[in-house]
Amino acid sequence: MAMTILVVDDSATMVMSLKATLSMSGFLVETASHGQAALDKLKSGTKPNLIITDINMPVMGGMELIGKVRALPGFRFIPILTLTTESEASKRDEGKRLGATGWLVKPVSGDDLVKVIKKVLPGA
Amino acid sequence: MASAGSKGIDGVSRVKAGVARVGDDATAADRKIRLRRIRKRLLSEALVRFALLVLLWFSLSYGLGPDLAPYRLRFAGLLALFILLPGLAYKRRHLVEARDAVSHMWAFSQLHFSEVSQMLEASNVLQADIKDSKPYIDVMHEQIGDSLSESEGEVLKVIEQIGLLHAKASQQRERIAESIKSGKELNESTNIRIENNKQIIAAIEMQLDAQNEEFMSNFERIEGMAGEVGSLAPLVKVITSIAQQTSLLALNAEIEAARAGNAGRGFAVVAFEVRKLAVLSTKAAADISEKIKTTCKKVDAEMGAAKDSLKEHESNTAMSHLIGDLGGMQDEFSKNSRLLLEVITEVDANYEESVMRLSQALGHIQFQDVMRQRMEHVQESLVEMREHLLRLSEDAADPARDGHLDLTFKSMLAAHFNKYRMASQAVTHLAVSGGESTGDHSRPAIELF
Repeated sequence: MAMTILVVDDSATMVMSLKATLSMSGFLVETASHGQAALDKLKSGTKPNLIITDINMPVMGGMELIGKVRALPGFRFIPILTLTTESEASKRDEGKRLGATGWLVKPVSGDDLVKVIKKVLPGA
Repeated sequence: MASAGSKGIDGVSRVKAGVARVGDDATAADRKIRLRRIRKRLLSEALVRFALLVLLWFSLSYGLGPDLAPYRLRFAGLLALFILLPGLAYKRRHLVEARDAVSHMWAFSQLHFSEVSQMLEASNVLQADIKDSKPYIDVMHEQIGDSLSESEGEVLKVIEQIGLLHAKASQQRERIAESIKSGKELNESTNIRIENNKQIIAAIEMQLDAQNEEFMSNFERIEGMAGEVGSLAPLVKVITSIAQQTSLLALNAEIEAARAGNAGRGFAVVAFEVRKLAVLSTKAAADISEKIKTTCKKVDAEMGAAKDSLKEHESNTAMSHLIGDLGGMQDEFSKNSRLLLEVITEVDANYEESVMRLSQALGHIQFQDVMRQRMEHVQESLVEMREHLLRLSEDAADPARDGHLDLTFKSMLAAHFNKYRMASQAVTHLAVSGGESTGDHSRPAIELF
């Protein structure tokens, strides 16, 4: 059974390119344009196997989203990868503290992205 | 706009020229400073003396008696001279210097009055031009914004095309997978059929060989029998000849018996019977000869048929060759079938590579987002610069301003370092402005916690 990945990014090009890349590798893809929209999806019953989120977004950013997802029942151990242009160490440490599984700095090739996903999603 | 700009530039150059001239006239500047000091000193001393005079006037007015009142003014004048004259004599040298300085300042002010006017005019032009920077920056800001929107739209189209390409490729892959499956089945089926055909051909060839051997054996036997039948014909001739001679002898015996009269009557009967037998023998020989001829004709017909069969045997050999060729064709077909399977498998491998390359291309498209964020930062900086320039313009027009700036381009540039998200932004900043990075961007691009 194909695994589902929730992609959260305010950039339409990022959402589209990630959706195409992940679909090519056999994943089902759900999308949200900011943290609040992603949170609403999760609360309404969407249960992805992995969340890939940007950090700097309108309405609700990635850091806040990570913290709130970890507080939701049943989402404590779901892997969350950040895919962002932020490369500063203090931001990474903050993401790690909030519960991010990994930190990916844009741009990441499709090949590398799928390799990372297979590492954090055994059986993918 | 262009004329205003050139006017502004002209005014600036004139101001610069005026400043340069003032700079060149260093002695005049020194004199100006000294004059200012002297004026302050003289003013303070004059004030002190004026205060003493006022004090003296009040003392004389209210301290002297009525008898001396008419002399009050003279007395006061003498006292004033007494107070002022030493000071005036003492400061004469300074007064001379002051006079020289004032005359020099007058000449200096006359000389630079036009330059100062031009400086003021240039300053006004600069203020107006700084104000005009707002639409300029706004246009550049919008140009960047429009470019980002257009590039985003085009990138989305590229992604859409890649998606369509991938969908088509997926359909092709399904067909390729079906082709591979069919190709494998065809290959296996062909191999089985070829194997079966080979066994059938071998059996046919064995049967043909056996038939050929039997045919040759029958042909030789018939040929022998035909020879034996043919060899009976001379014997029939001998029998016919003997019968004819016997008939002739019987006739002669009859004639001789007739000559003998009664004594030869019995012999005549025998001779007659012998002649009849001879005639019957001749007829029998003729029948035998006829039957032998008929038999020989039939044998010849059979031999003709046998020769036709021989020819047919030869065509059977050709059929064997044909079967051999068919086997070769089957082998060739099997080989081509394998080749086709290899080609299809290679096409499938190429498809895998194409998908991988499409995936890589989609990864590179993320650069658009990186570029967008960098350009948005530039847009924010343009807005910041516009606001700062407007503040500078307003401050320059405000005579109450003391010249102190809370915000400068230098401090704004330094503040950008805390706004950078990417290592590349910091690298570009440092490459242009110098200095050391305060952020840590050294960790790897992919980091799993």
